[in-house]
Amino acid sequence: MTGSARIAVDIGGTFTDFVLLAGDGTSYSAKVSSTPARPEEAVLTGIAQLLATAGIPASEVGSVLHGTTVGSNALLQKAGAKTGLITTRGFRDVLEIGRVRTPTMFDLSWRKPEPLVRRRHRMEVGERTGARGEIVAAVDLDAVREAGRFLAAEGVESIAICFINSHVNPANEVAAARALREAVPGIAVTESVAVLAQSGEYERTSTTAVNAYVLPVLEGYIARLEGALAELGISAPLLIGNSNGGLSAATVAREKPVFFISSGRAAGAVGGSRLGTATAEKDLVVFDMGGTTASAVLIEKGELSRTHEYEFRAGISTPSRFIKAGGYMMRVPTIDVAEVGSGAGSIAAIDAGGLLHVGPVSAGALPGPVCYGKGGVRPTVTDANVVLGLLPPVLAGGAVKLDVAAAREAIARDLGAPLGLSAEDAALGVREVVNGNMARAVRAVTVERGVDPRDFTLLAFGGSGPVHACDLAASLGMKRVLFPEAPGVFTAMGMLAGEVEHHDVRAWLSPLAALDRAALATTMAAMRDDGLATMARQGHDAARITAAFALDLRYRGQEAAITVPLTADEAAIDPDTLREAFLAAYRTMYGYVSRDTIESAAVRLVARAEGQVLDFAGLKRPPGRALRPETRRPVRFSRSGWTETRILDAAAVGATPVAGPVILESDDSTIVIPPGATVARDPTGHLVANLGGAA
Amino acid sequence: MTEPANDAITFAVIKSALDTIVDDMAYAVMRTARSPIVRDVLDYSVTICDRHGRILSQAKTVALHLGAVPDAMDVIMARFAGDLAPGDVIILNDPYDGGMHLPDIFMFKPVFFEGALAGFCVVIAHHCDVGGRVPGSNASDSTEIFQEGLRIAPMKLYERGVVNRTLVTIIERNVRLPDLVIGDLEAQYATCNIGERDLLRLFERHGRVSLEAYFDRLIDYGETLTRKAIAAWPDGTYTFTDYIDGDGFSPDPIPIRCVITVKGDHLHVDFAGSSPQVKGAINSTLSFVKSSTYLTVRCALDADVPNNAGVYRCITVTAPEGSILNPLMPAPVAARALTGYRVVDTVMGALAQIVPEKVMAAGEGGNTVVAIGGYDREKREPFVLVDMINGAWGGRHDADGIEGVTNPSQNMSNLPVETLEARYPIRMTEYAFRDDSGGAGEHRGGLGLVRTYELLAGDAILQLRADRTEHPPYGLFGGRPGAPSRNLLTTDGETRALPGKVTLEMRGGMTLRHEQAGGGGYGDPLRRPFAAILRDIADGKLTRQRAAADYALVFNPAGGIDESATATLRAARRA
Repeated sequence: MTGSARIAVDIGGTFTDFVLLAGDGTSYSAKVSSTPARPEEAVLTGIAQLLATAGIPASEVGSVLHGTTVGSNALLQKAGAKTGLITTRGFRDVLEIGRVRTPTMFDLSWRKPEPLVRRRHRMEVGERTGARGEIVAAVDLDAVREAGRFLAAEGVESIAICFINSHVNPANEVAAARALREAVPGIAVTESVAVLAQSGEYERTSTTAVNAYVLPVLEGYIARLEGALAELGISAPLLIGNSNGGLSAATVAREKPVFFISSGRAAGAVGGSRLGTATAEKDLVVFDMGGTTASAVLIEKGELSRTHEYEFRAGISTPSRFIKAGGYMMRVPTIDVAEVGSGAGSIAAIDAGGLLHVGPVSAGALPGPVCYGKGGVRPTVTDANVVLGLLPPVLAGGAVKLDVAAAREAIARDLGAPLGLSAEDAALGVREVVNGNMARAVRAVTVERGVDPRDFTLLAFGGSGPVHACDLAASLGMKRVLFPEAPGVFTAMGMLAGEVEHHDVRAWLSPLAALDRAALATTMAAMRDDGLATMARQGHDAARITAAFALDLRYRGQEAAITVPLTADEAAIDPDTLREAFLAAYRTMYGYVSRDTIESAAVRLVARAEGQVLDFAGLKRPPGRALRPETRRPVRFSRSGWTETRILDAAAVGATPVAGPVILESDDSTIVIPPGATVARDPTGHLVANLGGAA
Repeated sequence: MTEPANDAITFAVIKSALDTIVDDMAYAVMRTARSPIVRDVLDYSVTICDRHGRILSQAKTVALHLGAVPDAMDVIMARFAGDLAPGDVIILNDPYDGGMHLPDIFMFKPVFFEGALAGFCVVIAHHCDVGGRVPGSNASDSTEIFQEGLRIAPMKLYERGVVNRTLVTIIERNVRLPDLVIGDLEAQYATCNIGERDLLRLFERHGRVSLEAYFDRLIDYGETLTRKAIAAWPDGTYTFTDYIDGDGFSPDPIPIRCVITVKGDHLHVDFAGSSPQVKGAINSTLSFVKSSTYLTVRCALDADVPNNAGVYRCITVTAPEGSILNPLMPAPVAARALTGYRVVDTVMGALAQIVPEKVMAAGEGGNTVVAIGGYDREKREPFVLVDMINGAWGGRHDADGIEGVTNPSQNMSNLPVETLEARYPIRMTEYAFRDDSGGAGEHRGGLGLVRTYELLAGDAILQLRADRTEHPPYGLFGGRPGAPSRNLLTTDGETRALPGKVTLEMRGGMTLRHEQAGGGGYGDPLRRPFAAILRDIADGKLTRQRAAADYALVFNPAGGIDESATATLRAARRA
């Protein structure tokens, strides 16, 4: 058997982050440059380095937890498998037709995303299932085999199957998948009911196609990674973070990669909820700011907000949850993330009407901000922060000197002159606008749900989040900001906080008043048995698995539903309790309730394996390093002028509050505490800023 | 404190806040609506107006509705000035009193801040039925407004927060599906309340004086950007004529003609020369013509122009009284959307002469409406399916037309086949691209869609509104027209073509197949790269025979293009 150390690995675009949690609760972290062509190389380098630092042998490693962007990169770079699709006759174009909306209006230059399967490789076969599950026509298996052989001859590596109404009765689809696997054994086959047994032919076809498209890529990557871990002498199980923030055995990720597309991003949110529990902050907005985007996730009473579908696309520029059609639809459980196209690299510009815009165009890593001196000429958010003194004039311990003068000149020229402002005031404007854009993401997960952000604490991490967090929070009337220790590797830390999860959802259409409790209980028992069996195959002890059910409810006629908790005890299933829960949630969201019939739409199961989860309160640090000495520099927090500001090593802040203005620096982040706010270390070792009356 | 709205940052923050409010409102409608036409097809619109009734911000909803809001607001302001109180909600649908056609019920909620009017939340929804002679209330073959359903003059649905039971009861008794209609009205009401809550937060934060100064500036900003764009266009008059196939009674083509006059930074669009009003229900109110015109001009502006009242200041629209674009009572108007689409196509054709790189060749010509209503024998319930088929875009100056896409005047969605089959006694046997339907061009038009409905049992009334069977979508700059549309009814194995505008009885086992028109091409087909043609052939979007004819190609026996024979053929054609 393996040991008790756990390693978490988060691969980002620039760096791969590692956290090792030793059996005694000591945590070690590391960062190495990512190796995008073969991501597993950076993983191995980092793990070897970390084991050496901690002095722990490979045999002591009990599990390796991994968040991967391999799936999302395959979509982003169109680097997935050559994929085929087999559909009911008459419906091969459903994937390309989509839901026919456009993400913008009045824009005749719009380009529709290329479908993941070109029309030539979308095959139709004779078969039909009716809306009530009746088989109208049996599936033509000869046609299925013939389609498989044609696709194989075309070089297709992976095939999706989605038949109309297969979510009601999967018989035809399952028979087709079986015949196809026999006919073309070397090709991966994904049948739609294996990933999504729910109504909506476009959403189901798209989800299945994404699965088929990324499957060979992710499967190959995981196989290589497992082989390489074995070479290091690590025989511990590899667990992959899913889009919902849970962990799953690597075998699940190899078969159903569509559940793992946002693997890395979800981990930060889970870490946030776990950190919130440890610090007694039950109501949080988790805020992450990167180079091109910023995102927000709601944690209410310790519960992460999740959703049942999302679209993957590049260059998100709106927090709208209303507009879709910009990308690849996946109806899978996922952390509900609101994202805006505003980040540290976002470019600021004045339009023809005199309006200041920041983003969504980003300078990216190249040419980058003006101050990096890598060829960037258009001012970015980072340039504004440097000009204002909020960021240090040197990066990475003095290795990279920033060109503050060039940044100031670009801001003065592009923004200050047209607006009639000084470079510093224009830079403050850039910050205000970008904070306003990012506030949209926070609003999307709070105000839009009837949640008042003023009652919440902002949790800030990522490279740039802590530079903006206090001002962003103040603009929303939020009073506290939580900065985790080591915000730069927080996503990897979050993975250690994840639990192994199994999700299942089945259609359950019934008026609430006429709910057949016995039949429902039978289905729930079957769902639980399936879940336990699946998790047992992954090595989890059935006695240590908890199952939680929920029911989707809505007014008759609606499509969207609200998910309410459902007891597993048949005798205790009470339509009145369910109705009350639904009405309360509905009133909170929409401000009214109706007397109309309430109906159930689906029953959901989340099974979780109890196990080691990270205890943020119990973390121990490796032996300390020397503190950086305190310095000072002028910083501009407002239009009223420069303030000579203390610059402290973040580790120097203790339980006694330090009054702002003050800037806290560490190896991987800069925390800005504005005038009027205070910051102190809480008993669990994390920093908390109080914004006082500043609102 | 008076504060000139001169802070660039506050301005940007307020603009973004308004956009967020309408977005949140649009999302609320989708989540709470009951009928598929609203919750799945998204035939509704959301906007916020200031206290003068001027549009401040619009959600990304049906553009065709939004431009009609100013005229509706004029009616509200004139009728209810001084008679508005907190908690009031006004509805209307009468085309001759602020509305467009009867299924579109407008809802307005005046918002009060510190006791005085601060603005309006406006939600327009297409209701699945408002009574009248045909299920769905959308028939193209009615001959007077009185056949088209319940007419609601501007009236208070809520007065100081108290619902008007009399009005609700009249609506309930006059529509075929009262649960869905009342449920959707509730969704509109909830959405108004959400908008009100958020707008008030904005007032609390910025104060009335400051905020209203920024509202003025926002509208001025829309006007400034629009005038700058128009000023760059060459002065002159530009004329274009397009046609509707007929009104369902007469097969005579119905001309829609526009003359655009660019003068300095102002645009005048006149529709003199368009058809007189017609017998069938495709007459369009002037408000709807304005809306169609505004949105088309808006497409020719840059992407960042906000969609507010400032844009409308730069454009005047006129149409002769008694014409199809400005009809007199009691002309029927239920199927007027079709006429709006043709106004869009006509204005686009004229704009192509001004800004050829901003427009596209004609798209499918507007969505096709298939309404099937009857009585479900199994469920013992009435049903009304209102389905809208979208669509294809024409070719652009630098790209092919898109297939499987909303008409740019709508931004609607489609009704999932599985939702449709679960709710109605109908099976869909095909939903696909129509091969060979895109107009040839250097940039070809998008393919039209095919949608086939089989009525499983019982009897029903089928009501069809289709067009472009006689006058296919035009191409531009040498591009060819898209394929004309077809409507095929199959009874006991026999298939016959139907006219585009028809109401008839359908029996179980009968099948309706709509083949939508394809988009027009843009630019000379002979300039289309061979690789693009071969890719369409490989994908089955274009047949070899059709490619040979449209693009003057000679294929070699292996299926590739015989380039020298092709060159010879093309030279002979040019000669």
